[in-house]
This record gives sequence, C-alpha cells and structure tokens, in this order.
Amino acid sequence: MRSKFEMLLIGITMFVTLLLFLVIGSMFLITSVDGFISSLFSAELLYALGLTLSTSLVSATLVILFCIPMAYTLSRYDFPLKSLFKIILDLPMAFPEIVIGIALLMFLGNYGIGGILNKLGIQLVFNSTGIIIAQFFVALPYAIKMLHSTFNYIDPRYEFVSRSLGYSEVDTFFNVTLPLSKQGLFATIIITLARCIGTFAAVLFVGGGILMKTDTLAISMYLNLSTGDIDMAITAGIILVIISFITIAIMEKYAPETYNNQRNLIKG
Amino acid sequence: MYLEVDNLSVDLGEFHLQNINLSVEKGEYLVLIGPTGSGKSVLLETIIGFYTPKEGIIKLNGSILNDVPPEDRNIGIVYQDHVLFPNMDVYENIAYGLKKNKKLSDKEIDSKIKNMADIMNINHILHRDVATLSGGESQRTALARALIVEPKIVLMDEPFSALDVTTQATLTSLIKKIGEEYKTTFIHVTHNFNDVWNLADRVGVMKDGKIHQLDYINTVFSKPNNEFVAEFVGVHNILKGKIVNSKKNAISVKINNKLNLYSSDEEYDHLKEEDIINKDVLVTIRPENIIFANEEFKSSARNQIKGTVINIKESGPIITVDTEVEGVEFKGILTRNSYESLNIKKGNDIYLIFKSINVNILDSYNAFNLHTD
Repeated sequence: MRSKFEMLLIGITMFVTLLLFLVIGSMFLITSVDGFISSLFSAELLYALGLTLSTSLVSATLVILFCIPMAYTLSRYDFPLKSLFKIILDLPMAFPEIVIGIALLMFLGNYGIGGILNKLGIQLVFNSTGIIIAQFFVALPYAIKMLHSTFNYIDPRYEFVSRSLGYSEVDTFFNVTLPLSKQGLFATIIITLARCIGTFAAVLFVGGGILMKTDTLAISMYLNLSTGDIDMAITAGIILVIISFITIAIMEKYAPETYNNQRNLIKG
Repeated sequence: MYLEVDNLSVDLGEFHLQNINLSVEKGEYLVLIGPTGSGKSVLLETIIGFYTPKEGIIKLNGSILNDVPPEDRNIGIVYQDHVLFPNMDVYENIAYGLKKNKKLSDKEIDSKIKNMADIMNINHILHRDVATLSGGESQRTALARALIVEPKIVLMDEPFSALDVTTQATLTSLIKKIGEEYKTTFIHVTHNFNDVWNLADRVGVMKDGKIHQLDYINTVFSKPNNEFVAEFVGVHNILKGKIVNSKKNAISVKINNKLNLYSSDEEYDHLKEEDIINKDVLVTIRPENIIFANEEFKSSARNQIKGTVINIKESGPIITVDTEVEGVEFKGILTRNSYESLNIKKGNDIYLIFKSINVNILDSYNAFNLHTD
C-alpha cells in the first residue's frame, strides 16, 4: 500500500514528465510526412548532420582527453588557488551560453589572438575549427563536474593499496582509478557528446552560422526558422531529439544510475 | 632497530601528528591503541608514504624513507574494510602485487598464489567476485594480497573490527602463526584489547596525535605513564597521595591525608628513602586486582581496608562495584557468582583486599608531570 506522500510525489513526477513528452512530441505532429522526408534528405540538412556529428566527435574527444586529468587533479591534489580555479571552471555553467560565444569571438577574433593568428594564416573563427572550439568550451565544465564527482566517489585507499604493492602513481591511475571510474567516464562521454551536438549560441557566434559552411543542426534549425521554412526547422529539431534520445538511452542501458552504481562498486 | 620513527610530525590541516617516536624490531608485533581520532591510521599511512612528514625521520633497516615513494618502500597495508579491488576477482587481487615483478613467470605467480591461498584457507574462493565474499573471506584475501609480496613490514588498520567474534579469533591465530613462522614485522592499529593481549609484543597508546606510552604490555597495563593511559587501559583507580614511609618492599603512601596504602613498586623500591619521602605521587590499582570480602581474613595481601558500597553496575557476567573508603573511591570488578555469594548490596560494608605489588606508583621521578600532561 503506497502512502499518500509517495502517491503525491509519483503523481508530480509523472505529470511533469508527460508534459515534457507532449511538448517534445508536438514537434512530430506539426510537420507533414512528405515535408519531413524531403527536408531530411535535403543537401542542407545532410550537410548540417554531417558537420554536427564530425565536429561533435572531435570536440567531445578533446573534452574527454582534457577533463580526465583536470577532474582527477581537482579530486585528488591540493594546489595554490585551487578554489579560484574551480570557480573559473564552473563559470560557463552559470552564465548563458551566448556569453561564452561572445567571449570566444572576442578572444579568437581580431581584437584577441585572432589578429596575430590571421597573420600566420590561421583562422579559428567562422569555420568548423571555431565550431569545435565553441563546443569544447561549452561542454568542458560539465564534463569536469561529472568526472570530478566520479573520482571523488573512488576511495583513495584503493590507490594507496596499489602503490603499496609496488605500482607508481601513473600505473595505479591506469590499473585502478580509471577502471573503477568506467561507468562515470562512460556517462561523461555520452553527456559530453550530447552537449557538443546541442551547442547553439556559442557555435552561432564563433562559427558564424554560415549556410552550408558552419550550420550545425541547431544552427540550421535557427536559420530555417528565421526564413520561415518550418518543415526544415522542425526536421532539424526532430533529428536532434532522435540523436539525444539514442545517446541518453545508451547511457541508461550501459551506465544506469551511474553514481549509485559507482558507490556500490566502491563499497565492494 | 628495524623501523625507527624519530620526532615525526605531520600537518594535515585540521589534524596533526606531533613528535612521534617509535621503534620496531624485525619480527616484532607492535599494537597501537587509542581513542578514535587519535592519529593511529594517519601514523600508519605516513609510515607507508601516503602523507609527507613536516618534520622528523622514518628509517627502515637503516635507510631513510622520507623521500622514497610508497611503491618503493615495500611496506604492506591491510584495512578494516579490506579495500579489495572491485574490478578484480580474488585471484587477481592477490596476483596484483606479484605481477609488478616482471622476473616472475605466470607459472611462478600461480604457484605462489596457491601456496598463499593454502595458508589463508581461501583456495575455494580464488575465482569469486570480491563483492560476494564474507567479511572473513575478504580479510583473508586482503591479508594474502599484502603478504604475498613479502613486505618488510605489514601495517594493519583495525583489520578485525568489522568481523564477528569467531572469525576474529580464527584470523588472530592465523596472524600469530604467520608472524612466528615468517618473522613478519607487524604494526597493528586496534580498539580491541583482545588483539593487544593475543598478538602484541609491545603496545603504544595514542591520543591527539601523540604516543603517550610505548612499552611492553604488562608495563602499559600496570604502570601507565599518565592519567589518560591509565583510564584508557582500564586502570580506573588513580589516587593522589604522598609517600610517608619507605622500607624495603613496603612503601607507605597516604591518600587524602587519611588512608594508608602499601606499595612494593619495584621502580620505587630501590630509591633512597630521603629522596622519596614526602613526594606527591599518583598510585594506581587495576579493578581486577581488588578482592572483595565480607570480613577481614589473614592473607599475604598487605592492603586490607574496610569501605562502603556506593554503586553497583551489572554488565552481563561482570559486576563493577564502587566503594568508598575514608572519602576515597575505589572501583573493583568481580564475577556474577562472587557477587551473588557475597550478597553485595548498596550501602553495605565490605573489605577491599589487594597486594602491595598491585599498587603501582606512577612516574617515579616527577609525579607533577602527570597532572599537567
């Protein structure tokens, strides 16, 4: 017999979830099947899909490569001004994505290092490199946060024991710490990929939102909405929803309730 | 000395180890006891190299360890909650340290593991997932993992406290056997006095990041260095007094200016009378050394005093009886059988009988230090 409190909480959860489902699902109702199919196979959306996936794979890989050592450092070591470093790394999560977009544009453009790089023939904005940079800086703080929690849940005594058995810090990291964090790491990879795919404002500013050049799916959706091509915009939205659904479903299957599992794993 | 820790201080921000001095001989079994938060585990983890000393030196077999990384110290550690790698089965956990030694073939590793599994009686669980092990099996595996690499010292941080009494007894015997057969050096942190009595060659008592006493078991339990050690090891009867007379094997100490107790404390016995007369001292009597009787009787015990029962506390088969004699409180313990046959009741008169050899005088040379410690 469920208590009234339990029933109330389940009711709230189900109501809000269904509401969210209806909101997302309404997108599937607005477009016609013909409009959806023709938009899906249009050169513009195929280009946007390819660009989104390719840039996101590169940026997500870079994020993971950097966030592993950074999250481990924040979890295990003390160093001067550590709190300040943590605040700086968390900042992009606190302000709107558009702010990081403008900041990156300033930094990489002619007012920042872009002037010098241009002279060397290196262009970092208004191209796919700019998109990757924008996705990287938007996704990195979230990835560090997730992986930091994962490393925090791993009892450092596993590492102590490994070292007492003759293994160096590096060997211990690869033999013990990383295998113990695999579920958290897997979840971080999936969320990072989803975050990179969905990055909008920062990509718009740094990439420039140029049709058939720097328009990722999110940008394409925005550009088509601006020009009144609802079918194209909604199709881009539906593709984003499907990609997100697949990534989240993969995470749920292979890393369900990541942190709880991680804790159980560590309790041994 | 095999392991020497000289004047070691560790600063962990909120917690400090202060001026730790200890030495352990090869093959010795040292047990460290003390209340929670006294720094026992931090001391172990500093010896193994996980914390860097602020001051002081750690020497093992003559070599200074301070700048040697943990992986090169060859010191093993066993924790209360086993800390078995959850991503490896029992066999892989035990093999982990051996695999670091590239000179060992897989066959040699396998043979060593099987030998160790025989000793630890874990042959039947070698391929089990560590999450499915009982507490005893987990601790045997953790011990096997630590011992198989033949460490110079094994540090044990409350290894038996999460285990049931039977498993504790079995593992205690096992550890004792290993220590004796292989001359393994152990430093063992515990809250359990049974571990001290069953395993220790010497015992150290810690509090607030300091070692208050490190000595042979009988010395610590009968002649604690200070009031904290006395309380912690269960001496309980700690009385302030003044030496009023000193003859061979009969030092007379006046407690509260009224009550005379006789001591034959060996450490005090050989000192000149003029050096100790009128000295303020603390005397201790362990509760289990007090015999209760309903009437005076002839015995070799030099102290026979009459008091009144002021409190009785029953804890299963053991009864603690508080008595008052000339304004001085004594705590004694007796079995339920004795308690019932003596018909002890609150307010009744009772005789307390104890030998002068069980009246210990603390810190022969400066009793005042004990109060200010």
